[in-house]
Amino acid sequence: MKTIQLFASAMLITFVMASCSKENTSKPVNTLIDKLVQDVPADPIIGIGTDGRPFGYNKFTFYSFETNSVVPSTDSASTKWDVAFRGSTIITNGGASGPGNGGAFVYQGIFDDLKTISADSTFKLDQSLAATAVGKSWYVYDAPNNLFIPTPGRIVVIRTASGKFAKMEILNYYKGGVTPAVSAPSDEKLQKQRYYTFRFAYQSDGTKIFTK
Amino acid sequence: MSVLYRISRNMKYFLVICTLFIISGIRAQLPMDSATARSMDEVVVTATRTPRLMGNVAIPVSVIGAKAVYQTGSLRLNEILAEQTGIVMVDNFGKGIQVQGLSSEYTLILIDGEPLIGRTGGVLDLSRVTVRNIRKIEVVKGPSSSLYGSEAMGGVINIITDGAGQRKANVALRYGRFNTVDGSFNFSRRFNNTDITASANYNRSEGYSLKPNAAQKTVEPFWKLAEQVAIHHQLSKQWKIGSGWRRNITYIDNTIEVVNGGVPILSKGFERNDEYNVTPYIQFNDAKRWKSTLRGYVTGFKSHQQLDVKDIAGNYNDRFNQLFARVENQTDWQIREGSSLTLGVGHVRESVASNRYDSMSTKRSNSISYFFAQHEEQLAANLALVGGVRFDANKAYASVWSPKLALHYTPTERLTINLSYGRGFKAPDFRQLYLNFTNLAAGAYSVFGTEVAKVELKRYQELQLIDQLTGRADALSSLRPEVSGGINLGFKYKINTTTSIQANFFRNDLQNMIVTDVVALKKNGGQIFSYFNLKRALTQGVEMDLEKKIDKRLTTRLGYQFLYAADKEVLESIKNGALYQRESNLSSSVTRVKLSDYGGLPFRSRHNANLKLTYESVKGAFATLRTFYRSRWGVADIDGNGVINRADEYAKGYVQVNASAGFSIGQHWKIMGGVDNMFNYKDIQYLPGNPGRAGYIDVQFNF
Repeated sequence: MKTIQLFASAMLITFVMASCSKENTSKPVNTLIDKLVQDVPADPIIGIGTDGRPFGYNKFTFYSFETNSVVPSTDSASTKWDVAFRGSTIITNGGASGPGNGGAFVYQGIFDDLKTISADSTFKLDQSLAATAVGKSWYVYDAPNNLFIPTPGRIVVIRTASGKFAKMEILNYYKGGVTPAVSAPSDEKLQKQRYYTFRFAYQSDGTKIFTK
Repeated sequence: MSVLYRISRNMKYFLVICTLFIISGIRAQLPMDSATARSMDEVVVTATRTPRLMGNVAIPVSVIGAKAVYQTGSLRLNEILAEQTGIVMVDNFGKGIQVQGLSSEYTLILIDGEPLIGRTGGVLDLSRVTVRNIRKIEVVKGPSSSLYGSEAMGGVINIITDGAGQRKANVALRYGRFNTVDGSFNFSRRFNNTDITASANYNRSEGYSLKPNAAQKTVEPFWKLAEQVAIHHQLSKQWKIGSGWRRNITYIDNTIEVVNGGVPILSKGFERNDEYNVTPYIQFNDAKRWKSTLRGYVTGFKSHQQLDVKDIAGNYNDRFNQLFARVENQTDWQIREGSSLTLGVGHVRESVASNRYDSMSTKRSNSISYFFAQHEEQLAANLALVGGVRFDANKAYASVWSPKLALHYTPTERLTINLSYGRGFKAPDFRQLYLNFTNLAAGAYSVFGTEVAKVELKRYQELQLIDQLTGRADALSSLRPEVSGGINLGFKYKINTTTSIQANFFRNDLQNMIVTDVVALKKNGGQIFSYFNLKRALTQGVEMDLEKKIDKRLTTRLGYQFLYAADKEVLESIKNGALYQRESNLSSSVTRVKLSDYGGLPFRSRHNANLKLTYESVKGAFATLRTFYRSRWGVADIDGNGVINRADEYAKGYVQVNASAGFSIGQHWKIMGGVDNMFNYKDIQYLPGNPGRAGYIDVQFNF
């Protein structure tokens, strides 16, 4: 009898404590960062090679969701960055790309509808620059018109270098956030490309929940 | 918004013209013999491969007569077809036809019953064919592979040239805008038991530029030459022998701007297409029960494109030689009154050599053997049934059965009802089987036909040029023919002696449609494509014609087609809520695509309408005024979801008005002139084949 009572009170205490702690974390402290980032350069084109293919400096631009800023490339071997861009290649800080705990997968749906990363989703790791976790499904390349268009309904879900979670939607691949017209001169299409406009939501509390 | 505004303005304009004509029609209702009644008595051959009265045919068929061709001032096949209800011309690798929402590769084009070859990217350029020597054009809609085999999915267009039984000798000369000159000579006559027909046509133009100051013209200067001779000889009462011979040359003076390493180079060159055919036959006809024809057909198409671009690869030089040879027997047996049987058997050998595929010395070939049977039975005085089937067997892809069943019912004298179901197919073409093409200018992509793709992929892998294979690479296999099933339900109703209306509802379901997909990514970033039987699509709609004789001399015709054409995979992903669209570039304006957002297959206009007014005097003078409306059509995917959904993904709808008039002087001279596109509608981007307003004058001398 006594053991049952003890057990029951212990249960009660645990329950109360649990609900208290729950209340504490969901209180006013907003741990979600939801930002629009414009014109992040991703190795813009500086010339055209003899093979007719454009080239840049072949450098990634590194980005941190936590600080919402570009990370200097001198820190490329650190866990200070979460995601990096070079041309249409997107890498995350993990696997073959960095020392961090990063990974990613592409979710199909609408940004605001992705409220929780489901428990059974698997984060992929970068195998190489050719086989990244993000892959190429986030954009469509219109070869005849030489235009890169982000595919609507593709959300890149990212585990950051420190193992926290973010979601990112790429909105545009051109400077100023506007895709050149199909009929635009090819020079304009080349000069303006490789600038990312994206929206991201970063949950700093380590949970997989993107609601405020 | 502005697009919508412009369309509604165009539509309004069109409606005003329609209303005017209809009002004038109501005002002057005079009884007289109906033109439709007369056209019902016309003999057509294409629908059943046997001569039948048009009013008795269970399959949607229409006829464009030589008079209509002349009065509309048409020179080339695309011009006269573009004016028919339910036919749309699409500017893509030349003037391709769209019938019941099916694109050019799914419509069979015949000249005197024999198929035209020489397609580019699946499109048969109809501006190749002159209509100065034709007797009539028959248009059959709906799947007709049960009689014609491959390509007859959307329909069959048969151009019937001047021939036996006609007495005709004329020369004609035309001059029009852009220094267009067209000269023709036609001769047709019977000497004892021999009919001889000869014609020649020369057509040239200096082309035009839609963009002022552009280095490259929109249409480059060209000339075309067509020659045709046919001899038919009656050996005895029952035996007839003959042959036709035809040659066609198209030459285009090409100046192309090629961007090489970012530097535009202006390159001179040319494109020349040579086409010829020979059509010998022998026929037995006892004029009662039996008719049997043994026909041979040999046709060749040679295309040569050259550009003087000096780079590592040397001159751009593209050659394509196609040969098609066929032998066929068709036997018609009149079993008894109201019951007949048509049997056919044939063999085709086709070959292609092209440096797009391999070298010119490698010939790719395929042979097809086939038979077909068709039975026509008059079940009752007002009910007839046609059933037929064709089997095509070949080496390069799976064999196909193509059945067809059609009913013709005349409940009252005024009303005719037609119902038919047929299956059609299109064989994979040589390009889809053997293409081996790499475009260095645009993204270094490659396209391989399915029969060469595996070998080429292996070669690329051995050369370490492949970055990765996609999931599709494993699915590479031999292609199957594209197939369709189509239902047509038609009504013809004579409202009174001056007015008639007809409507045809259609639905086509296409399967195994061949599309390109990425099989591998190259290390240099380029993609490698091959072909797959992946797509399913549907087209459905209704086509209507209203004809009204306002008085003895004035006739109005109003035509309209409503078309819905959709990719079934897209419809499914919309239903599953798995297709997304983006309204603008800057905000997260992504929503799920709704069925109402989906604009269907590209290049299809939902609405097409025409209004034609024809005046004919007793003495042979005439005038025509023809107005055409085409609603917007999808052209590009801008938001990256692969489908047409945004307003800016459409080309603008438009109205075009053509007019012509002519008269005769004495017995010998006929003079006519006209203006096409009177209000000078242009769309530089999406209607490069429309030069704007163009006038012409035409003189004909009849011996």
